[in-house]
Amino acid sequence: MVGVSIAAAVLVGLPVGTLLFLCRKGQIFENRIIFSILNLLVNIIRSFPFLLLVVFLIPFTRMLIGTAIGTTAATVPLSIIAIAHYSRLVEQSLLDVPKGVMEAAIAMGASVRQVIFKFLYVEARSGLVLGLTTSIISFISYSTIMGVVGGGGIGDFAIRYGYQQFKTDLMMYMIIIMVILVQLIQFTGTTVSRMIDKR
Amino acid sequence: MITLHNISKSYSCFQAINSVSLSVGRGEIHGIIGASGAGKSTLLRVMNLLEKPDEGEVEINGQILTKLSRKDLRQARKSIGMIFQHFNLVANKTVSDNVAVSLELAKFPRKVRPSRVEECLQFVGLSNYMDKYPAQLSGGQKQRVAIARALANNPQVLLCDEPTSSLDPNTSGEILTVLQNINRSFGVTIVIVSHEMEVIKSICNRVTVMSEGQVYDTVSIQPKGIGMMNNSPKFFVDQLTKDGDVGHA
Repeated sequence: MVGVSIAAAVLVGLPVGTLLFLCRKGQIFENRIIFSILNLLVNIIRSFPFLLLVVFLIPFTRMLIGTAIGTTAATVPLSIIAIAHYSRLVEQSLLDVPKGVMEAAIAMGASVRQVIFKFLYVEARSGLVLGLTTSIISFISYSTIMGVVGGGGIGDFAIRYGYQQFKTDLMMYMIIIMVILVQLIQFTGTTVSRMIDKR
Repeated sequence: MITLHNISKSYSCFQAINSVSLSVGRGEIHGIIGASGAGKSTLLRVMNLLEKPDEGEVEINGQILTKLSRKDLRQARKSIGMIFQHFNLVANKTVSDNVAVSLELAKFPRKVRPSRVEECLQFVGLSNYMDKYPAQLSGGQKQRVAIARALANNPQVLLCDEPTSSLDPNTSGEILTVLQNINRSFGVTIVIVSHEMEVIKSICNRVTVMSEGQVYDTVSIQPKGIGMMNNSPKFFVDQLTKDGDVGHA
């Protein structure tokens, strides 16, 4: 579940966030209409309480996968929130790139594609990694409530067997596992981002 | 080499440049000086269309840039180098990668890239800094990397936007020397925007004075040479106390 949502974040969220950034006022793709639409969409998705988003998306999920129940179906709402979440963080990291760097790129005759890949992403890479780390941790948290649509997962397990069957120790173990997992992810993310940050 | 024809540019409620025509001859070092807000930087940025003029034509090396398609404009920009007050290097790339990127953009043959990078860095005196990152360099060194980057594609024209304004006088002198060498060795036409009279006087053959978005006058001058400043503390004290009445605190 989380794996698919991470893939969605990178494959779709990164381009969407880049587009959000490039369509802003004063940027190379300045386009108020595209920006407003994307901006509104990202805001709306992110303002849903996640549990309601899952329920709200049931018809859409059913249309896409054929069923709204089960682990595969659970990846749909999770991927959608993942895209919205990460694209916003991508936009923010790109905003940290000094405007002069892009200007130098354009002055050297770089195409939009080259500006993005040879300049923007290179300069923003540590922010992009940190953003992804934050996002992954949020996805894990989101995934714990996927039990409502039979998504399974560790969170579902902890609620079902730990809380509802009064096996408090089991619930505690699950929590400890989650804490360790999140610590590991954050540590890895921070370390990688520090290693690639030469600014 | 560079001809501007009736260029006008305004921002929402402010006329930055008002019908400016200007021509810069091949091989010249042309200065543009004026007070802050006179429009000199904007005028320079119009030359490679970083700022699109509202009206007028920009011609460089026989090409009318304002009439080119986006693709041709990108191509034309590859032979127009530009350096900036704040260097604008990619901080996450090494010195040599910063220079190499301009070769990549120009589709310079991959095999000869490293040697060209080294050649350019050698020219600006930084061949020992290839694997350093910009954060490890001083301001003057960063500007020299930026010059090497601009130089890599053998540009016909080099546009310099306040190239020495964030450097100390001594380092400024070094940068100006490099620029002068480029002009002499490769015949590159250079345009320098600066608010510092010393800078303009030292290496320019012709100078345009701007005021309130218009050309006030263009004069030919004899460059008076780059006065190398001494950076020793004694020199500073001497300069400060030259006119008598000293009170040591």
